[in-house]
Amino acid sequence: MTLVWKLLRRHISIAQFAGFTLASLIGMSIVMIGMQFYTDTQAIYQADDSFMNGDYLIVSKRVADRNTFTGAKSSFSTDELDELKAQPFVESVGTFAPATFSVSAGVRMPSIGGLSTDMFFESVDDQFVDAMTADWSWQEGQQEIPIILPRDYLDLYNFGFAQSRNLPEVSEGIITTIQMDIRIRGNHKTAVYKGRIVGFSGRLNTILVPRSFMNWANEIYGAGNDVADVTRIIVKVNNPTDERITKFLTRHDYITNADKLESSKTGYVLKLVVSIVMSVGLLIMILSFYILMLCIYLLVQKNSQKLESLLLLGYSPALVARPYQLLTLSLNTLVFGLSTLILCIVRGLYIRRMADFFPQFDAPGMMTSIGFGLLLLLIISTANAWAVRHKMDQIWHHKS
Amino acid sequence: MTRHICTIRLKQLLPEVFAARKDLDSDVWQQDLTLERGKTYLIEAASGTGKSSLLSFLYGYRHDYTGQILFDEDDTRTYSVGQWVDTRCRHLSILWQELRLFPELTALENVLIKNNLTHHQTREQIDQWFERLGIADKREALIGQMSFGQQQRVALIRTLCQPADFIMADEPISHLDDRNAAVMAELLQQEATRQGAAIIATSIGKRLPLNYDHTLRL
Repeated sequence: MTLVWKLLRRHISIAQFAGFTLASLIGMSIVMIGMQFYTDTQAIYQADDSFMNGDYLIVSKRVADRNTFTGAKSSFSTDELDELKAQPFVESVGTFAPATFSVSAGVRMPSIGGLSTDMFFESVDDQFVDAMTADWSWQEGQQEIPIILPRDYLDLYNFGFAQSRNLPEVSEGIITTIQMDIRIRGNHKTAVYKGRIVGFSGRLNTILVPRSFMNWANEIYGAGNDVADVTRIIVKVNNPTDERITKFLTRHDYITNADKLESSKTGYVLKLVVSIVMSVGLLIMILSFYILMLCIYLLVQKNSQKLESLLLLGYSPALVARPYQLLTLSLNTLVFGLSTLILCIVRGLYIRRMADFFPQFDAPGMMTSIGFGLLLLLIISTANAWAVRHKMDQIWHHKS
Repeated sequence: MTRHICTIRLKQLLPEVFAARKDLDSDVWQQDLTLERGKTYLIEAASGTGKSSLLSFLYGYRHDYTGQILFDEDDTRTYSVGQWVDTRCRHLSILWQELRLFPELTALENVLIKNNLTHHQTREQIDQWFERLGIADKREALIGQMSFGQQQRVALIRTLCQPADFIMADEPISHLDDRNAAVMAELLQQEATRQGAAIIATSIGKRLPLNYDHTLRL
């Protein structure tokens, strides 16, 4: 094979191949960095709320002034719920079930002392709570109730209450290790449970407990499960950027956690921008692929006499194609290796800033982007190999 | 693929460019002719009678002919690329009139590029042939720097670096003196005899000195 290579490497133009390598390197780096950046930013959005992704909206009615005086409730009627369910952008609708019993929670911490407060519980269908299914369950007889708190509550404590009272700040990590005493009263019965905070939500402005606990407790301590009005609903939509959502909500004077809708829109714009950047990268790669193919075709053309002689000596088209196939594979592998290196360097630069801005940011791995780069390497090299082989077949049949 | 190609049969073979010619008087063209393994054939021809075309047709390099070429029972028009590759490595060997050596490679490399493919001859045997043909000192010389006569001898060695049932030589001694022509004929005959192969030599005047079983006029 070395003799064949010695023959066939004639007329290789270093400048042409360097041009290809550079163009391909730029293209592949853009694609891989784009993909990695998208993965990383997605992780930030998800870190914002580990329980619900951006496709959920929490919808309630606007509380009118007169409600306060008339005692009217801003609850949803069955017709209104059915109308919402029938909307094309809605995938599923869940209701919030409020507790119909009184709840108070107490915390005992050595540095703070005792704290106790009245509070309320709500629950949603478990299908709307994404994460930690192992933690998010309750069976009858279980002493410990898992709880999800709004992240705002923690901020309220850390940046308001703790500051003004000179109390220590608590992190999310610490607070999940603290057990609360939950006192439940109703129907002339009282019970004490342990509450354990399993996480915080940036999107749910309520204190969540598992549906199974709520159903059970409402029967025992409250007024049953069917009496409560539906004042808030959770809606899963297929595309949060769908403008029909905004129109529908405005028309019915419903309110939602609109800022979250905004963040979904930002996410969508980000996705769009990254897609455009990646498309440009892919376009550069396709063009560089053509450069490589032109280089190889030119080389084959210049060496066609030699190639024909080799074929007449008994070399198969596959065998004479191999040096050029290996050449393209090596170049593509080199490009992939360098792109991965560039990706690591660039990511190293931005990931630190991201971590500064978003402390909850848990950097995802690079498997997706590297895997995608590898896939491109395979596709391009296969296409190269096929094209080279096709050219050799043409020489065999005197068609070149 | 059979172990050997024992016969090459030509059935009404005619180059397409000769289709309009009415004055053909040939032992080969438009005849039914069988070439047998182990025999020695001389094809005598005047210039322009299609001598090189005939060898190109037999070797599967060109297909612009009418009629049939059969290797044993197989029509070569039905041969796949793979079958031709196998045929060129194990059944047919050819010394082209234009030699088809690689000027960028040395004399020895030109031989090895074939032998590396077939692993048919030992390095000692190749060296010995270089000696006998009087070009041992040119082994490491680039082909481009050798005379045509010297190149013909290198091409012969390369032709012998494969197993063959038919060895074809297209005007192999056109640029050789009688002594070298005799050595070349001897080597060719030795190798053909050893393998039981046929020799098909062409000539437009200067004959490779062999005892021919058949002389065919083209």
